Amino acid sequence: MNKKLIILSLSLILLIFFSTTSFASVNWRQFEGTEIRLLMNKHPFTTFIEPKIPEFEELTGIKVNMEVFPEDQFRDKRLIELNAGADVDGFMIMPGQAKLHYWKAGWLAPLEGYIEDPQLTEEDWNVDDFFAGPMGGASIEGHQIGVVINAEASLLAYRRDLFEEYGVKVPETMEELEEAAKFFHGKEIDGKKMVGIAMRGMKAAATSQFVDFLYSFGGSWTDEEGNANINSPESIAAFEFYGKLLREYGPQGPTMYHWAEATSTFMDGTAAMIFDANVFSSMYEDPAESKVAGKVGYTTIPAGPAGKHPHVSNWSLAVSGAAPEEKQMATWLFVQWATNKENALGSLLTGVPAGRESAWTDPKFAEEDRTPDWTAASLESFEIGQPDWNPPVLNVSEIRDIIGEVIVDAIDGKDVKASAEDAARLMNQKMEK
Amino acid sequence: MKKFKEKISSLIDKNLNIFFPAPTVILLFIIVIFPIIYNIYMSLNKWRIGLGDPEFIGFQNYFEAFADPRFWNGLKVMVYFSGLSLSLEIAIGLLIAVYLNREFKGSSFVQTIYVFPFAATPVAIALVWRIMLNPQIGVLNYVLSLFGLPPSLWISSTSTVVLSLVMVDVWKWTPMITLIVLAGLKSLPQDPYEAAIIDGATVTQIFTYITLPMIRPVLITALTLRALDNLKEFDIIYTITQGGPRNASETLYLYSYKTAFSFFNGGYGSALIIIVFLIVLLFNVIMNKVRYRVEI
Repeated sequence: MNKKLIILSLSLILLIFFSTTSFASVNWRQFEGTEIRLLMNKHPFTTFIEPKIPEFEELTGIKVNMEVFPEDQFRDKRLIELNAGADVDGFMIMPGQAKLHYWKAGWLAPLEGYIEDPQLTEEDWNVDDFFAGPMGGASIEGHQIGVVINAEASLLAYRRDLFEEYGVKVPETMEELEEAAKFFHGKEIDGKKMVGIAMRGMKAAATSQFVDFLYSFGGSWTDEEGNANINSPESIAAFEFYGKLLREYGPQGPTMYHWAEATSTFMDGTAAMIFDANVFSSMYEDPAESKVAGKVGYTTIPAGPAGKHPHVSNWSLAVSGAAPEEKQMATWLFVQWATNKENALGSLLTGVPAGRESAWTDPKFAEEDRTPDWTAASLESFEIGQPDWNPPVLNVSEIRDIIGEVIVDAIDGKDVKASAEDAARLMNQKMEK
Repeated sequence: MKKFKEKISSLIDKNLNIFFPAPTVILLFIIVIFPIIYNIYMSLNKWRIGLGDPEFIGFQNYFEAFADPRFWNGLKVMVYFSGLSLSLEIAIGLLIAVYLNREFKGSSFVQTIYVFPFAATPVAIALVWRIMLNPQIGVLNYVLSLFGLPPSLWISSTSTVVLSLVMVDVWKWTPMITLIVLAGLKSLPQDPYEAAIIDGATVTQIFTYITLPMIRPVLITALTLRALDNLKEFDIIYTITQGGPRNASETLYLYSYKTAFSFFNGGYGSALIIIVFLIVLLFNVIMNKVRYRVEI
């Protein structure tokens, strides 16, 4: 009888010992044999992480199926698949665009439970290492619904070689921006007729860049009561300025310019400046793709009448709230691995503005950083940036489409005030919160 | 057991007319008829995709459509685009078919080359066109400059965007019309032609009084086939312009797609697509009537 008791207590001690040791670190192979399916946007982060997936599969024994689509199609595809209850375990998301809708639909798994669970999250993964602003953007109603892989702000990129050659001042105000654009527009350089500035002008796609002008001119999407404010005098001034820049100093046919057209024009060496997301510097600086690699300078949005108000947005990795629990946990392991310190630094080194502070302060990054002005401008934008890059509504795409019409009208030189009034009326009618 | 089998086989024998088409009918019901009925039902609902259950609101979506300027714009673009591209495709397709319908050196080679655009994947060629049509970096403005012509804005201007899309559509689909008409021409009897030549008819007279009347049923079939696709043209327009600039090339079909899958407004999107469906249906009924009248 006594013997039995001893064996029992011994095995109990052993059991406690083993379970406590497993508390100490994550068992990466706990979901061995699971298969997860991820929907990804075609994005420099995806390009960085895709070839590294075998490392994760070897570490965990989890099979990862990653499907990549261009942005517009990606959004539609994600929506259709999630709504149809298809087999999606994780996906990329811009929380500022879709979180309200996806959260209400139950497609976003709250992650704080996983982050706090020592059996699922390594201690040195350290959630506090991420920039607070973007991580706040990736949370809703107190729940963390994504982990930032790319903190994004828009920067003014300019041809440093030409600005130096012609002694043009790097724009710090909107007036200087217009002057610089005017100076270069139509100039023959290297047998090319230059364009002053390349920016997006294509309806809904342009709103995410226009927002920096809107706020820097003192305008906003909505007022304090939540009604449309795009018809305020400040907002109208912003529309007019943006429209004039593109109409008079922009490329041919700017109303069909999405970021692909804008960046191509800049990388072709035809444009003196471009205003778009900071993440595209990885393309500008790629000598295989770009004729302007090594010749580009970067700065923040120039200050408008209301000051300098860039937006910060972010791409995050999210776990599907509709997936079975075990798959959710396996996907969390992937998200955790993809956003660990090593991968954040690695992606930053390829030019993805990573969400971790430790990556930006890493000596290895400082050493390899060939564009310190890009780094400084990005960090300044993260610091002073405002998160409302989209109207605070459920049906973001629909409202962006309405606002985009005013941008097109402004570029076409139509009556901006009338167009903004119409759009504001329609916006008030269609906004859903 | 044996008796049971015999019973079944005699049951099948007696009702062949039910059993043989049954698999097809059932499949058709699942993949064609059920979605249409469900779509009609959805069009009577207000439904944000993913957010809660559909709410029945009767015909409100249809009333909303008739008051929606973007709906009328879509209808206008649809009529403009389809009207122009269909008539050009029929006219050019017919002329080329008449031209190819004779023996000349390398005629089979020319005919093979000629179907290339029609055989290519729409999205792939649309992407190529999209780059060629870009006024800043595209090749078409360069081609114009070779002839001393001023550059065009192509798809970047609200006034030329539909014309540019018609150009792409005509380039891609005229060969299909030609192929159908060519097959029709080859099957025509030769006697009327011989008689006409003996009587001294001119080439124009032969074309107007012999070829055209005899080929008309084939032409109408080709038109019906092409119109089915053309009225709901999606890949070319979506890939090249996504309906832009502004909404200048947004057909009703594209608008319904955007409403449902970008704005996730499922009910309203369904109502719009039902209207497109009715237009296509109406067009086909008319074409069928015309065709039978011609044949009699």
